[in-house]
Amino acid sequence: MNTKRAPFNFFKWIQSGKVNRRLCVVTFMLAPLLLLLIFTYIPFLKMFQFSFYDMKYIGARKFVGLKNYSEVFSRKDCFQALKLSGYYIVASFVQLAMALWFASVLSFKVKGGGLYKGFMFFPYLVCGIAVGFIFKFFYTRGFVLDTVLQWVGFSQESLPYWLKDKSINNISIAATSVWRYMGQNMVLFIGAIMSVDSTLYEAAAIDGASGFNKFRYIVFPSIKTIIVLNMILAITGSLSVFEPPYVITGGEFGTGTYFVIMNKLAHESQKVGLASAMAIVLFGLILLATMIQKFGEWYFLGVGEQEAARTIRRNKKLKKQYEQQQRANRTEGGDGI
Amino acid sequence: MRQRYGKRFLAVVLIGTLTATLAACSKKEEAGAGKTDLGVTFSQIKLGEHTDLKADLKFLTHKTDVVDTEFKDYVTEFQKMYPNITIEYEGITNYADDITTRLTTGDWGDICMIPTTVDKDELENYFVPLGNLDELSKEYTMLLNYSYDNKVYGIPSMGNTQGIVYNKAVFDKAGVKELPKTPEEFLDDLQKIKDNTDAVPLYTNFAAGWTMTAWDAYIDACATGQANFAHEGRVKGDNPFADRGDQTGPYAVYNLLYEAVSRHLTEDDPTTTDWEGSKARLNKGEIACMALGSWSIVQMKSAAEHGDDVAYMPFPISVNGKQYTAVSPDYNYGINCNSSADNQLAAMLYIKWLIDKSGFELTQGGVPVKVNAEMPEFLKAFDGVELLYDVPVPAGEETLGNDVNNESELGINISGQMAKSVVEAAIDGQPTMEDLAKEWDEKWTAAQEKYGITH
Amino acid sequence: MRQLNIKKNLWIFIKYATLIMGSVISVLPVIVCVITAFKTPEEYATTSVMTFPASWSYINNFTEAWQKANMGVAFRNSSIILVFVLFGSVMTGSMLAYVLSRFKFPGNGLIRNLFLFASLLPGIAMQVSVYQIMYSLGWINSLTGYIILMCGTDVMSIYIFIQYFENIPTSLDESAIMDGCTYFGVFFRVLLPLLKPAVITVMILKGVGTYNEYYAANLYLQDKNRLVTVATSLFKFTGPLGNQYNYICAGVIITMIPALLIFIICQKQIYSGLTQGAVKG
Repeated sequence: MNTKRAPFNFFKWIQSGKVNRRLCVVTFMLAPLLLLLIFTYIPFLKMFQFSFYDMKYIGARKFVGLKNYSEVFSRKDCFQALKLSGYYIVASFVQLAMALWFASVLSFKVKGGGLYKGFMFFPYLVCGIAVGFIFKFFYTRGFVLDTVLQWVGFSQESLPYWLKDKSINNISIAATSVWRYMGQNMVLFIGAIMSVDSTLYEAAAIDGASGFNKFRYIVFPSIKTIIVLNMILAITGSLSVFEPPYVITGGEFGTGTYFVIMNKLAHESQKVGLASAMAIVLFGLILLATMIQKFGEWYFLGVGEQEAARTIRRNKKLKKQYEQQQRANRTEGGDGI
Repeated sequence: MRQRYGKRFLAVVLIGTLTATLAACSKKEEAGAGKTDLGVTFSQIKLGEHTDLKADLKFLTHKTDVVDTEFKDYVTEFQKMYPNITIEYEGITNYADDITTRLTTGDWGDICMIPTTVDKDELENYFVPLGNLDELSKEYTMLLNYSYDNKVYGIPSMGNTQGIVYNKAVFDKAGVKELPKTPEEFLDDLQKIKDNTDAVPLYTNFAAGWTMTAWDAYIDACATGQANFAHEGRVKGDNPFADRGDQTGPYAVYNLLYEAVSRHLTEDDPTTTDWEGSKARLNKGEIACMALGSWSIVQMKSAAEHGDDVAYMPFPISVNGKQYTAVSPDYNYGINCNSSADNQLAAMLYIKWLIDKSGFELTQGGVPVKVNAEMPEFLKAFDGVELLYDVPVPAGEETLGNDVNNESELGINISGQMAKSVVEAAIDGQPTMEDLAKEWDEKWTAAQEKYGITH
Repeated sequence: MRQLNIKKNLWIFIKYATLIMGSVISVLPVIVCVITAFKTPEEYATTSVMTFPASWSYINNFTEAWQKANMGVAFRNSSIILVFVLFGSVMTGSMLAYVLSRFKFPGNGLIRNLFLFASLLPGIAMQVSVYQIMYSLGWINSLTGYIILMCGTDVMSIYIFIQYFENIPTSLDESAIMDGCTYFGVFFRVLLPLLKPAVITVMILKGVGTYNEYYAANLYLQDKNRLVTVATSLFKFTGPLGNQYNYICAGVIITMIPALLIFIICQKQIYSGLTQGAVKG
């Protein structure tokens, strides 16, 4: 039978399954990917190019191949500065823990909840320009922090020079970072916790779950993706921290992190090639750290709807044991008869 | 089938855009491509000519504090003579970094204050040559910083002298009868101030960062009595930072700071010093002195009511019994070589007016640029001190100073890193001043070798 | 019974104690700003930062900061920027998250990682290259150019949307498609309304980030009379010879007030969204 083909309808074609799907995928991704490419990846490639030259911002440049990279590894100040990131890593985990705690508490009914949220989000609203000013005076001897501690009972003599004393000045600066960003993280987590279907809580309450169990079994697994993302960003943020030390102490007295040193090299000594190489090396480290973390995530927590690889393995093992047991039982039974 | 083609197509598009943009970007790096040649020099034009010239100029400046006050007045005054030239000032906050970024595009305005990041051999790609060095030197001083190949590309807005700003009343109260002439005398005086008054003897203003570059200005002519020390003695010299043993030279300058800090003659906590507050404190006598250029005098005097107590002394180093001070240029004016001919001419006229007629240097505590102009009031106290101006550098070696400075990462006159490391070392107790000087000399020698200077 | 009560009370005590401490610590450092904002220029120059101002009714700093820093224009510009950037970010972010979480296609993981890696890249190191690109696009000194630059979705917004999509069952999509909806329709009509809390969270975070963004604004919006934003308006009071902190602090307080108010309002919105979700079941 010869069936006449229906005339080609454009709109119907667009709405048909496969084409519609592909169209949707492409159009939805076009704008963000384009922006990403132009404003992030192209400058990145240029920077990569710079790292192979001995150059300044203005003037001719000389190709030196891998010399900049070998210099990054042989200089003592570059990797020394990375050690400082340790302080910031610890600080960011403290920050994450605090943010999770407050977010969990404040996602449920709390008296004056809105007020607390407002207060703790407040530091994030302060303009960057004033942060250096605020913290210089916060840590100046006899000023804000010292005065408050004296009210609580410490004497002025026992209090250290917060920014001069090398054994604690990095902690002081890392603390300012926590102050500034804890509120933002908290709001982020609150938002994520909102995504959890509230009927789950009611069901759990009926089953007699305590507050802590609710958190562990309902909240935590549902916001896995965000938590892991935050951990990755926390570690990478700590490795590449720049603003707090730069704005508060200018990187002096042993607070100069990797990025502060890189910035000095580029802007004060005009060693743009070397600075670019430093940036690329750091990026490599960050990539490594991220991959390790993603592997950890895949193994211990599971991505999205997939179970943790560890649990999958364990389940497989248990299943195998169970099957072996079954077979043993059957043969036994057979023999018995 | 279709999927594979789709992927390949996407890949091609991506790579295509990538290469196209990269190519476009690299083309833009050819600055100086749109140069206009003016054909007239700075000394040839006269104020009062070309009064019907029409131009709109954009002027980039670091002095964001006077953009709305003094600068506005200057424009109004200038327009009395040249009514059709408008000048729009743009104050840039993070000047040194921002201006360098903007210069890379070649299209940034008409006049700016030339940053130290432009090497001498690059000047012609960015700025208009204002005339020949020999010709212009007849009328103006301090033209050497931005001259190359006998052509002048930048002319200073004013000059600075170096010394120490101090509070007379505090010094008197402490029992200091005569101004110190050597580092030891100065340290003794600081000790007297600490023992007999409540004032902080020497306030370093460490936390502000830029205040520490002031110390670099003393190490050349001021500390050695030789006008050419900067180039011959330091850039090309052998181990310039070592102890000379006679309380002169760069070592003596930094050692003065080291000793002052380690003997607790400075503030307790350098990391939290307050620049804005320190001005009033010096004025009122809570601080005895600070190491800053002559521009600071005006600031200190107007900070509180005791302006009359504020005075300026030459840096306490004597070479064979004589004190010297270097007069060096502040930021220089430069005209964009990519601007139109009319704009360039208008810019030249405005700059000439600023230097000859505006009196800018008087309001800023600086030294005038014109030859034989009257010296400001405070310099009258520098009786018996010889003023040394920069001397020309041998041909072919113009970029050497910057090159060695950058390569060694010592950042002299740029970052204040040396003075900062002195303060930090003095507080920690180690490294000692000798160790620091040795470290600097090592870096400096390595940098010198890279550029072919051998001893 | 007794034991349970003690444990419960302890729990409540800890909860509120930490909330109060957290709030106090958050607000404490800013006290310096508040004190300075009420001082006259003479007081600021001559008294220590810890001494209270002579009169708490001295509001000249606020009025002068408003005028000198051109804050009227600044607020207008910042509002324009915010509206477009928030709309752009939320739309592109949610659309991207939709595609990445609902569709399986080759390159899904790659694209997720591309965005992640982009956030790992140091922005400061690439400043000069980005400037040259903006210049070649003719976007220096242009509000449009700045807006587009700011729209570049950051990875946090995308992941929040992805997280939300993961918690919305795909059965909703499937039933909509069976009813004849296109994929576009599924997104706009079914899923987007359910994303309200996520949208508000992203708006808050991205909003504050854009509002306070001063680095790129300073570099690209160079005409300070026409294109000043709230964040760069305060640069008016920084100078090569020192910053006038009495005006800066007053200005900072002025900028913070609207942001705080909007935040509090948005928080109420989220709460109402929560109960809505519960009813849907």
